[in-house]
Amino acid sequence: MNNTFVEFVHALRGADVRVSTSEALDAVQALQLVGYQHRASLKLALGQALAKSEEEKQAFNQCFDQFFHFSNMEKLSDTPTIPFQEPLLQEQPASTNSSEKDNIANRLINNLSQLASNIEASLTGQSNATLSEPGQSSGQPAQSQSPLGQLLLSGDQAAAAMAMASAGQSTNVNQIQLMTQKGLYGRRMMMAMGLEAMEEEIWQAELSNNPQQLQLAQRLRAARDLLRSEVRDYVEQQFLLQAQAKGKRLRQDTMMHVRIEHLREFKDTQILVRKLAKRLVKKHAHRKKVHNRGQLDVRSTLRQSIPNDGIMFNPQWKTKRSNRPKVMAICDVSGSVSQVSRFLLMFLYSLTDVLPRVRAFAFSSRLGEVTELFQQLDINDAINETLDTYGNGSTNYGQALLDFKEHCLADVDKKTTIIMLGDARNNYGEAETDILRELYQRSNQLIWLNPEHKNRWGSGDSEMKKYQAYCTLAEVCNSLSHLERAIDKLLIRQ
Amino acid sequence: MSSDSIISSLSPESIQSGFAELGYICDESIAMSVYLATQLNKPILVEGPPGVGKTELAKATATLLQQSLIRLQCYEGLDESKALYEWKYGKQLLYTQVLKDKLGDLLKGAHGLAESVTRLHEFGDIFYSEDFLEPRPLLQALKAPNGSVLLIDEIDKSDHEFESFLLEMLSDYQISVPEIGTIKAVSQPVVLLTSNNTRELSDALKRRCLHLYIPFPDLKLEQKIIQSRVPEAPEDLRNQLVDFVHTLRELDLKKHPAISETIDWARALVLLHANSLDKKLVESTLNLLLKHEEDIVSVKQELTSLFAKAVKGSKHHVRR
Repeated sequence: MNNTFVEFVHALRGADVRVSTSEALDAVQALQLVGYQHRASLKLALGQALAKSEEEKQAFNQCFDQFFHFSNMEKLSDTPTIPFQEPLLQEQPASTNSSEKDNIANRLINNLSQLASNIEASLTGQSNATLSEPGQSSGQPAQSQSPLGQLLLSGDQAAAAMAMASAGQSTNVNQIQLMTQKGLYGRRMMMAMGLEAMEEEIWQAELSNNPQQLQLAQRLRAARDLLRSEVRDYVEQQFLLQAQAKGKRLRQDTMMHVRIEHLREFKDTQILVRKLAKRLVKKHAHRKKVHNRGQLDVRSTLRQSIPNDGIMFNPQWKTKRSNRPKVMAICDVSGSVSQVSRFLLMFLYSLTDVLPRVRAFAFSSRLGEVTELFQQLDINDAINETLDTYGNGSTNYGQALLDFKEHCLADVDKKTTIIMLGDARNNYGEAETDILRELYQRSNQLIWLNPEHKNRWGSGDSEMKKYQAYCTLAEVCNSLSHLERAIDKLLIRQ
Repeated sequence: MSSDSIISSLSPESIQSGFAELGYICDESIAMSVYLATQLNKPILVEGPPGVGKTELAKATATLLQQSLIRLQCYEGLDESKALYEWKYGKQLLYTQVLKDKLGDLLKGAHGLAESVTRLHEFGDIFYSEDFLEPRPLLQALKAPNGSVLLIDEIDKSDHEFESFLLEMLSDYQISVPEIGTIKAVSQPVVLLTSNNTRELSDALKRRCLHLYIPFPDLKLEQKIIQSRVPEAPEDLRNQLVDFVHTLRELDLKKHPAISETIDWARALVLLHANSLDKKLVESTLNLLLKHEEDIVSVKQELTSLFAKAVKGSKHHVRR
């Protein structure tokens, strides 16, 4: 059963619940305390040990319901708890009954009989005739010989579910990657559960003329069909749990390195940007104070000395709260650059926890401030609005810089970080490098992010080489990982 | 009964009923987390909106386990000297003054500076021993002989440094005092940390704790809470007022009324001898529920419709 637990943890991680090994160990301890019998308590206990925030709780609940989805479990939770005796699924020595073909299934069922007796105790009066045909059980027809047949006809659904889960484990259903593999894994699971022996039995029974045998064959056939559909559901579920999460992770990993122009508007990208932003927030939320070693804080030292009769043997040093940079982002929103701008803005406005003061400007030919748009509207609407208003027209960096100077040069001070985002393709217009120099001198730092590759800087109408001289930092930025790195640097240098 | 045997005899159900006897009505998840915390010796991180009874939970736990409650209120700038220990500087100073004369006897017969210093070294750490240690909440909790319930309140208000400082305490129940060494817990305390989520706590801290989220209670639970806390409130009034509070929570308010406010309100209404809610009464006592002027104004405007909804709801409830 520990395997099941490990799989569950994997599924949780796939669902974006961050589970560390130590937490998983805690959960195992909690599990031993609470036991598997009481579904509601199990869910509560695991939830408290594994999911550590409100969002994680939600993801956990969803994942738990999907993972431990045995139709019988629901009924179990209503019945009083069985006192916890011992781990239900102990590895038993292989059965002595060597005439059976399928060894795995045999061992499995031996394990299960133990479970079944436990469950039966708790299921007093519960009807469990879903699998077995009603009416048939009262008579005394021929007994099935194959272990799978016995299991299915016994009507013990929990045992069947457990057998299915174990078969799933032995066939590695959790390795499923693609939709098209569902059929294959379903078949493999049925084989692992001992389908072959059962089919042999059905065949034998149908050949004989004994009416009891024929009846048995019919019942087995019905049971097999039911099992098939159950297995299909199980594989489907595993696919949803495992492959979907893995696929998502794979997709997101790829997305990090794909050129932003190709990303377009996937729903996932936004989630990814938010995730990256959250990571940056977490990383930079620390470091509030910088110790200024060697500078005595006289006031604090005096105050500290009061209990010591005024003897100042506990010197206090000055600390400085490091200021968050005041960011001004100037974004080219024309043509190809607009996609990158979109993501930069998305990023900056997701960072409000560590970057409370972001002013955004957009231009292609004329420049305008769009900060208010972002404060009032949802990020997406604001970006679309910005692109609509400023997006069309031929790029003119000179004009944009002139506008910026007129608009808010006075607001640029030593705490300001200016981020320019653009390819510096100026259509052979006036570059106005003087203004950029002025900005560079007045600001704390000026970062230029260019979506073009470095080789192309300065080629054709690109003024990048001229501008680069007045940048604290000039970087290529055309994928999300570039963007993340650039903003990370911005937050470190203060 | 000693607290050890109390702890070992606990079960989630017994905790829930035990809490109920103490007047703390809770659901299974709270009982389960207290159960796990006592059995696994893990701290609990309790999150939830203000006023849902996070601090109250610690008090109830202490009473249930018959242990003392030690409380550490966090705030910005809280450091080890206030949370863990402080040297008794005054006492140290006084003793050095008193013992000044003894110093002469001690050093009698010593030749030269080197020998005097060696002799002094033999007594060196007297002034930095546990006798001169002023224990603050964390150390008190570790030193409590019969165990204790340690409440670290509003951990989100403290600095990041303090949060990291707590890690050793939370995982190993021990702390290091540079002058003395490591102090281990005499018997491991039950630790509850509360947070209002004003900032994200670090993963390291979360990893060491069980996580319990207490939301606003549902209708039934809150009625039970009022019944247990304000038993003198008549049933009609109780149902009506809980319904009304629930309709308020659905509105877009600056601060939603919490359980503590519902309790206060119920007490006030009992004091005013109200048997059922009416609009005028609500209007005059609204400031008990809502703590922002804007909220009060906006609710007053919609009071008639809200009131109709709540009363209708509660009548429906009674009929059921």
